[in-house]
Amino acid sequence: MNATSLLLTVAGTLGMAVFGLFAGLWFTGLDRVLAARMQARIGPPVRQPFIDLAKLLVKQNVVPANAIPWLFNGAPLLALASAITILLYIPMAALPGLPVLDLHGDLVLIMYLLLVPGLAMVAGGLSSGSPYATIGAQREMVTMIAYELPLASTVIAFAWKLAQTDVDHPFSLATLAATPLWTLVGPIGFMGLLLLLATMILVVPGELGRIPFDAPEAETEIAGGLLVEYSGRNFALFSLSLAVKTIVVTSLIVALFFPWNLTDFVAISCCPYLATAANAAFFLFKLFVVLFFSVTLVRISVARFRITQVVDVYWKVLGALSLIGLALVMVDAQIR
Amino acid sequence: MSFPMVPELLGSLFKKPNTNPFPAAQLPPTVTGLLEKVGKGEASLNPPVPVPEKLRGKMTYNRETCIGCKLCLKVCPAHAIDFIEGTKKIRIFVSQCIQCGQCTEICPKQCLALSGEFLNASHDRYADELVVD
Amino acid sequence: MKTIEVKKPSGYATQIGPAHPALKEPVMFSLDIEGERIRKADFVPGMAHRGVEWMGMRRNCIQTMYLAERICGICGITHSISFSRAVEQIAQIQVPNRAHYIRSIVGELERIHSHLLWAGVAAHELGFDSAFYLAWRVRENVMDLLEYLTGNRVHYAIIQIGGVRRDIVPDQFPRIEESMKFFEGAYAKLAAVFLDDTTVQMRCRDCGVLTTDEARELCPVGPTARASGIKKDVRVDHPYAAYGDVEIEYQTPDLLTGEVRGDVYDRIVTRLLEVKQSIGIVRQLLAMLPDGPLLAIPKPAVLLAKLKGVAGEAVGRHEAPRGEVMHYVRLEAGKDEPAAWKVKASSYSNYMAWIPMMEGEQIADIPIIAASIDPCISCTDRVALVRPDVRQIVTKEELHRLSVEKTRRIQAGLAK
Ligand code: SF4
Ligand code: SF4
Repeated sequence: MNATSLLLTVAGTLGMAVFGLFAGLWFTGLDRVLAARMQARIGPPVRQPFIDLAKLLVKQNVVPANAIPWLFNGAPLLALASAITILLYIPMAALPGLPVLDLHGDLVLIMYLLLVPGLAMVAGGLSSGSPYATIGAQREMVTMIAYELPLASTVIAFAWKLAQTDVDHPFSLATLAATPLWTLVGPIGFMGLLLLLATMILVVPGELGRIPFDAPEAETEIAGGLLVEYSGRNFALFSLSLAVKTIVVTSLIVALFFPWNLTDFVAISCCPYLATAANAAFFLFKLFVVLFFSVTLVRISVARFRITQVVDVYWKVLGALSLIGLALVMVDAQIR
Repeated sequence: MSFPMVPELLGSLFKKPNTNPFPAAQLPPTVTGLLEKVGKGEASLNPPVPVPEKLRGKMTYNRETCIGCKLCLKVCPAHAIDFIEGTKKIRIFVSQCIQCGQCTEICPKQCLALSGEFLNASHDRYADELVVD
Repeated sequence: MKTIEVKKPSGYATQIGPAHPALKEPVMFSLDIEGERIRKADFVPGMAHRGVEWMGMRRNCIQTMYLAERICGICGITHSISFSRAVEQIAQIQVPNRAHYIRSIVGELERIHSHLLWAGVAAHELGFDSAFYLAWRVRENVMDLLEYLTGNRVHYAIIQIGGVRRDIVPDQFPRIEESMKFFEGAYAKLAAVFLDDTTVQMRCRDCGVLTTDEARELCPVGPTARASGIKKDVRVDHPYAAYGDVEIEYQTPDLLTGEVRGDVYDRIVTRLLEVKQSIGIVRQLLAMLPDGPLLAIPKPAVLLAKLKGVAGEAVGRHEAPRGEVMHYVRLEAGKDEPAAWKVKASSYSNYMAWIPMMEGEQIADIPIIAASIDPCISCTDRVALVRPDVRQIVTKEELHRLSVEKTRRIQAGLAK
């Protein structure tokens, strides 16, 4: 790696971090406004998450007396850093230089990295020395184990299908972004992919700790669970990491299921900058649509599950759904 | 599986919110600034929600006809009425009054009544507008 | 399959409350938990004792009426009806018929408002905030109606000893009927959201069960009892106000679902059914509203003088939205203020049902089970131990001894 590419990577990382934070907060605000409108409320202004962040940053940062300070303070940093790291691997629009760490990671790495913010929250919760946080941390671990099955089945389905088509790096994200799977399968496989999409849509609320899968935080049960002892700067970092993670997870769905660019449909040949801008806007739009259906609409239209029900839903219902999807994709490949 | 809330939610997305709006949609940088603008006609305030005509609001008191019989003091559940020995008149502390209207019913001279005024908030519970005399 | 022997069950003790987001009022649950399961549950009330009775015994009966109204922020009319019924019995005041009807109408409107409020709170405890907003949005309509009829959204100040203070005139009938139509539509919508939703069913079915036998032993009141299949309702069993003139049935969940399971879901069903029932009762009452005066003794000064002259004791009851409320009042001749006033709020009878409901359930179910009896904690707390030399837990015998001592003290004071 030479100096220029190193410089480019550093600049790209910074750029992605800023984008992730900004877009994450903005989408969070949008989510809150839309949720409010659907509940017939006026709701906060879209910039409310920024206001909240500014407020949190000036508030006192309390470290409980019986917490383990280094772990308690380190966990939010780790959560944010790891969330931003994943962002560097995920293909977004066909923008030059994206993803920043394109050639260094694949889908499996992302699956592992996705666990890190959650683990950081578990560590922070366990180290905060509150019984509610401990219950929350246990629930978070259970939730992570629960949604891993449907998530893994989906990823396997994708990699298997791509491996079938003799591409070089079936797990690579660049391959994924370049090959929309929908075009490679027949009607049965198409149905399989639809099932996988439905599964992934419902994995997102689990990943992000949103209703109905928010048992680890469950405000009315364990008073915020994992995060109950967090305040001020540390809490701000956790909410930032959640915002970035929102972008990460929705981008992942976009990359897996909707990799198209706007330029694939309408030729914008007049000037390359316009095309890039159009693609970026189209990407944000796709993020918004995924976010709306997987987070906003889901989190306000149902009640919260018990932790045992979270496991049941992820393993029995969504696990079965994703395995059927995987099987359909495989069957489809055989009969074609 | 059934999720009856979903159609309701999606429908509300295209309807006007049900919340009664504050006078200004969002907290302005300065309230006085906003009021000045309203005065000049540059901004407008959301109108208040109409109140029913029988609303129990702030007390009114007719000092002239009061005979100082102290009956109102006897029934006031909140001990909101003060008798002024010197003038033989009464004084009502709005911040303590629960607007039950019991005093209006017992007053032999009908010098007490409930008005429709309900904006009775203040920083000072003994502020001039919160003491009726 | 080989069973693994666990030597020591890994349990831990924790507590929820007195201040906790799931609890709108202070009460403490102490729980013995294993994993997510509750092995043993207990609760510690007595954290919101306000000394209302003490205050009432220092005010004349008219003033105490308004104080009684303020025992509860939700059932304003409940306590004032019960208190005035007790005083009316002592003073042998005959309440005019029209007043009886108006009392019942406002009582039923209050039931609608209280049950909708409860539905919202329950939905919030389940994390289902949209249903909470929906229920409270619908509830605004009845609040507006109450404000329109009585002048206040809560604490209607409409009851007076011997009648009511405000009339319902024919001009107001269309507005009431409009609201009743609105609530028929709203009932359908709420029933769909609360009863058909899969996630609500997953959370509430067979959760927090109070079997009919347990209910019979613990003697809960109101919807908590009826949801367990116990047919009791003061309005039917001992009709008062205008309830003797209308058709009322016990609302048990089997009317809708065909079975009684006594779980949280059944408590939702019962309350929704009662909303529908109240709509019917208001309509019946309006259609039959008799003419006549509103007050037995229109002049408050005359009323006060009369109450000063009477002596005796009586109990006034009312079927509150949460169940039976009971006021015991004793008046002494020559005294303006009640010599004794004892309030039994409905939640007092329902508290004990928490324990069988919670044991064996999960931590996640605590909020909804706690909410499912619709507890009104500040109304209920009647005793607080304030002396440091008194132990925290008082046995029945000790409580009896303390009560006897206190009664002697009061009687000695009265004798003077
Ligand atoms: S309205 Fe009621 S509380 Fe207010 S002064 Fe009159 S009697 Fe007292
Ligand atoms: S009852 Fe009426 S006349 Fe008597 S003191 Fe009060 S206000 Fe005056």
